[in-house]
This record gives sequence, C-alpha cells and structure tokens, in this order.
Amino acid sequence: MKLVSRLSNIRSWVPEVGSQKKMGEIIVSGYRKLLVTFAVLPGKLKTDKPITEILINSYKRVGYYIGIWYMMSKNSFLMVLAQKKVLFIFLLGKVLRFIFFMIFLFFLVKGAGRLSNYTVNQAIFFFLTFMVIDTTSQFFFREVYRFRPLVVSGDFDLVLTKPIGALFRVLMGGADVIDLITIPPLYAITIYFGSLLAPNTFQIYLYIAMLMSGLLIATAFHIIVLSLGIITLEVDHTIMIYRDVTSMARFPVDIYKQPLRGVLTYLLPIGIMITLPAKAIMGLVTPFGIFVSISFGVLTLYVAVKFWHVALQKYTSASS
Amino acid sequence: MKNPILKNLSRYLAVFKISFHHEFAYRVSFVMWRVRNIIQIFVVFFLWDTVFSTQGRVIFGYDRSRMLTYVFGLIIVRALVLSTKVVDVAGHVSRGELSNYLVRPINYFKYWFTRDLSSKFLNISFAGVETLILYIILRPPFFIQTNPISIVGFLVSIVLAMLIFFLLLFIVSSVPFWAPEMGWGAHFLVTVIVVEFLSGALFPLDILPQSLQSILSYTPFPYLIFFPLQVYLGKVSTIVLLRGILVSSVWVILLWFAMKSVWRRGLKAYQAYGR
Repeated sequence: MKLVSRLSNIRSWVPEVGSQKKMGEIIVSGYRKLLVTFAVLPGKLKTDKPITEILINSYKRVGYYIGIWYMMSKNSFLMVLAQKKVLFIFLLGKVLRFIFFMIFLFFLVKGAGRLSNYTVNQAIFFFLTFMVIDTTSQFFFREVYRFRPLVVSGDFDLVLTKPIGALFRVLMGGADVIDLITIPPLYAITIYFGSLLAPNTFQIYLYIAMLMSGLLIATAFHIIVLSLGIITLEVDHTIMIYRDVTSMARFPVDIYKQPLRGVLTYLLPIGIMITLPAKAIMGLVTPFGIFVSISFGVLTLYVAVKFWHVALQKYTSASS
Repeated sequence: MKNPILKNLSRYLAVFKISFHHEFAYRVSFVMWRVRNIIQIFVVFFLWDTVFSTQGRVIFGYDRSRMLTYVFGLIIVRALVLSTKVVDVAGHVSRGELSNYLVRPINYFKYWFTRDLSSKFLNISFAGVETLILYIILRPPFFIQTNPISIVGFLVSIVLAMLIFFLLLFIVSSVPFWAPEMGWGAHFLVTVIVVEFLSGALFPLDILPQSLQSILSYTPFPYLIFFPLQVYLGKVSTIVLLRGILVSSVWVILLWFAMKSVWRRGLKAYQAYGR
C-alpha cells in the first residue's frame, strides 16, 4: 500500500503518468522522445521548429544527462571508495590478471615464432585492443551487473517512474571506479605498443573510429543483456557468457576455423568489435572492412534499442 | 541400536543427496556454468590448434596430440578439482548464517566436503558428455595413456589436488571473520586470478621460463591442474612423479594445519553479524 501511495505521489509530478496508459508504454514513449533528442531515430525529427532550436534543446538535454551521469557516478565512486580494502583487492586482481596474460602471450608467441602470422607485438596489440574495449565498457556499464535484483524485486518500477530514461539509468547508473583507475595506464600501454607497429596518421584515425564502432557494439550487447533480463529474469550468467564470448577476441579471430570464425565475425560480431580495429592500425583493413565495421556498430545499437522497447512491454512488475 | 559409524555415514549421504538435488533447483545457472566452461575450452583449443597447425611440430616439449589432449584433459580435471561449493562458506560467515550450522550435530568441514563431492560428481558427469560431444565435433588427435604407473599417479595427484583446493578455499573463506565485506574479493583474487593462471588451467606452465617454473613448483598451485595432466601425458619421470606427490602431500598437511588454526582464531573473532 505504501508503494501504491508513493507511486500516486510520483504521478502528480510526472504529467504523462497520470493518464491510463500502461507503465511500459509510457516509458517507451518517453524514451523515444529521448532518442529523438539525441537524433538516434532521425525519422522522428520532422517538426516545424527551426533547426537551431532543435540543436539548442538537444545540447541542453545532453548537458542534463551528463549532469545526471556525473551525479550517479560520484555516488557510485563514493560507495566503492568507502571500502578501501575491497577496492585494493579488486584492483590488485585486475592488475595481476593483466600482467599474467601479457606474460603468457609473450612467451607463447615468442616460443611458437608467430601466432597465425602475427608477431609478438601484433598479438599483444590485439589483446590490448580487447582490454581497451572491455575495460571502457565495464567502466560505463557496470550497473548492468546489478539489474537482476531490480527486476526480480519489482524495484524497477521506481526507475520507470523517474523523469529520466530508464535505459540510461540501468545501463550507466553506476560507473566503476576500479576500471577508471586502470584505464589511464591501459591506454598508455596500448599507445606504446601501437607506436611499435609504426602506423601512419590515417591508420591511427581509422583505429580510433573503428574502436568507437566497437564500443557501440559493446553498448548494444549490454542493452540486449538488459532486455533479456526483463524477459527471462536472468542477467548474471548472460553477462558472463557475453564476457566469455568477447574474451575469444583476446586473440585475433583468424586463429578460429570456419564456421566459428564467420560466426564470431558476423553473427556475434566480436571480430568486427575488436579484431578489425586492431587490424586497422596494422594497415590490414580493406574499405569494405571499414564500411562493415561502422555499419555493424550503428545497426546493432539500433536493433538493441528496438529490442529494449519490446522487452519493456513484457515487464510485468511482479513482486512490486 | 544402529552402528554409530553407519549413522554418521548416512547423515553425510543425506547431505550429498540434498546438495545434488539443490543443483537441479537452479538448472539454468548450472547449464550456463557448463556453457561457460565449454566456451573457455573452445578458446584454448583453437589457440593451440593454430600454434600446432604445421604437421609434426614440437613446441615446449609437446606435439599436437599431447597438447590437444592437455586441452581436453582440462575439461575433466577442472570438473574434478575446481568445481566446488566451498565458495559459499564466505557468505555464511559474513551473513552470520554460520551460527545455524555450529549448533547442528554435524561437522562443518565434512558437511562442505560432502557438498563438494556432490558438486564434483555432477560436474564430472556433464564434463564426460561434453568431452564426447566436443571430440565428435573437433576430432582432435588424442593421446591415450596406457602406462599403469602414470594412470595410478594421475588418480593420486587428482585426489591430492582436490584436497589442496578444498583446504585453500576454506582458508580464503575465513577472511570474512575479520573483514565481512571482503569475502568475494578474497575469492576473486585467489580462485579467479591466481588459481586460474598459476594452476595451468589456461595454459601449460612449461611454456614459462625454467626459473619461473622452479619458483612455482614450490607453491600449491601447479599441483591443482598442471601436475596431474603432466602425469597423465607421461611427461614426468617416476622420480619427478614421486617428488610431485610428496610436495602435494606436504601442502595438504600444511594447509590442513593452517586451516584448523585460522578457523580456531576465526571462530573466536566471529560476531554473527546479521543474526
């Protein structure tokens, strides 16, 4: 009864919720507006308003969400920093895992001569590119790991009623300070090993662009995991399977045989997400590869957002 | 009047059965855990398959069939040694649930060892089926050990590895006696990072330089996965086999006393938080 009372109070200050629409539909329409603001759904931008006004409003919305993200991240950091011993143990674990794997890769490729025609430095760069995408997405999307209790307990209702996009809240609501600490040295090591491959300026720009595309695919994967969480109530194993599958790209996907290589490149596009950017800096990507990478990034994100909308309509609010 | 030994045994048999059925209560979790294991095996298999793509190549003292047998052996040995329920002990301590068990007429260590055996039985059953399916799909060259000394040595080293891992986890699970919030952190550091890399679960340790291998041989970690598989592959002489079994046994004894000591001190510090 208390919750019903709280929801009624919230309804009074969230105008749209006062109507008879279902909760899921309201959130979907609200989120669509958000997407229009960010111009993710260009078809919805048909409006009589001048473009300058639309742009100013968009910037305001982006600023509004950056402010919220900063606030949520600060809270998340403070929670972790309050337990310094835990922070130290997890940080130590992550650093050790990185060092162990680098040692393993170094001695493996050194002993074997080459790994699928790649030198030691190239093999290490594939691993570092995997780490960059993995750690960056972990930093932004750590909140995904805490989504299941929200759905199972019905507390997701409280997220839905807030005047911000529910997807934004459950995807980016708890940035990980441990990953933030590891990101600067990781980027520095990646730049160092990248420089050993002697790329030209175009290859560097191409690498950064394809890395962004890889991060879009990683974002899409996390949205799909969240959507599956609503439908199946299972998040923990799904996200770990996602991580296991992406960890196959710690090595270039060229080491896998067909049809697995095809599956890893196009069906579960971890090849496009991780191997292709690393190949870009080695000058091994064709114009078709560039086109495929950028297209997959945008397409998978679009499909993931659509899937999220479908999943939201299946949300039953059980246990609330 | 029932024999007290039989009565005691039937008690732990009941724990075994309940624990076994408990696994099936969370079928999706169990299946997902097995799927994750298979994905990890796929990565290691294809990695080594690529390294040994040239016919007749010998690297790090392995030929293609021995290396791919090592990879397949990982499925079986991981199921026997690394599948465990003891990780839940840390949660019992930090949430104060340990109190419920301390008042029961049951030995807490034997209770968890029985649950471990149940988990291992279930995992090895599935691992056997998975090995068969993967063998049919991947058709790797397989090394079959026929030397009875190596087979017996392999079985003995597996039993010792199971004991080492059980005792190691129990010691790690005692961290929440003093720092309740660090239960998962301690397990993450020891089981997910250190054991995964230093036990040979990801790669055979003999790809490392000899100096590093020598240092590692004095720790308990290589005796969990790497040593039993080396024995199965016949890569160790009888002297090295006996030395390995001796070192494993010493570790079992040391860890046993360490565990007893840590738990005695831990129970004095235990405050049953949350109860």
